[in-house]
Amino acid sequence: MNLDELKKLKEKAQRQVALREGNKKYRVVFSMGTSGIAAGAREVMTTMLDEIEKRGLEDVEVRVTGEVGLEDVEPVIRIEEAGGEKTTYAHLDAGGARKIVAEHLEKGKKVDKLAVGKEKKTD
Amino acid sequence: MFEELSLHILDIAMNSLAAGARNIQIAVIESVKHDWLIIRIRDNGRGMDGQTLKRVLARSFTSKSSRKKPIGLGLALLRQSSEMCGGTFDIRSVQGRGTSITASMRLSHVDRPPLGDLNATILALCASNEAVEVQLHCRSDEGTFYFSSQEGRPHEPRRTQKTQREGATASRAT
Repeated sequence: MNLDELKKLKEKAQRQVALREGNKKYRVVFSMGTSGIAAGAREVMTTMLDEIEKRGLEDVEVRVTGEVGLEDVEPVIRIEEAGGEKTTYAHLDAGGARKIVAEHLEKGKKVDKLAVGKEKKTD
Repeated sequence: MFEELSLHILDIAMNSLAAGARNIQIAVIESVKHDWLIIRIRDNGRGMDGQTLKRVLARSFTSKSSRKKPIGLGLALLRQSSEMCGGTFDIRSVQGRGTSITASMRLSHVDRPPLGDLNATILALCASNEAVEVQLHCRSDEGTFYFSSQEGRPHEPRRTQKTQREGATASRAT
């Protein structure tokens, strides 16, 4: 364990926590159950957080959930838009995560290649 | 099986979040001299009753009902890892007060997974729910380290301090 490395964490965590507050246009929900974590959800999440911060996207809220019943295609995330539209992305890795931030969260364009299932509309 | 102990920590701490914890304390104690690595995760979530606690210790326990504290394979995996590495696994819980999980393993054990990216685990936890205080205590032969996600935040809600005290009571009660 490297104490210096841990010290760097302080600043970074606090900055990211500050970014997460308030009502946002996009909500990104990470599946962080045992299967998600085993498949690499943590790396997907930290990559996305980094990327969101780097691009200065302020209209994004991050949440986690437990198992979503998609164990075979983990890591899975769901992006919920303020209008009620939901998109589920599966089989993610760091590259996919970066792409989703750049396309979906920044430009509002869905990444069809990584999306699974039919889009669902709620109210 | 997780390749890193920090992934175990994340997995267990996710249970704490699911149990409505407002405060999660993670302690990692590493001593080369005594050849131990001890991980403790303590929360002030809703805890479990005796019956649930017994079932949780059974290897195949899984709770799909989202009304109860959802525990899947995670605890069993951590127990397996610690027992495989010459250590012990202990879980204590008081309903309404919180849960405390302690896993130890021999630092030098050949099968011991590396601690891995603890920072990523803490970051992921902090970002999951900004209202929850995540505390990390690290102690090794090099020195100690303490981190809290609420540290230096301008508008610290009073509720956090209250729940913190409740958490402390819970741990003594167990």
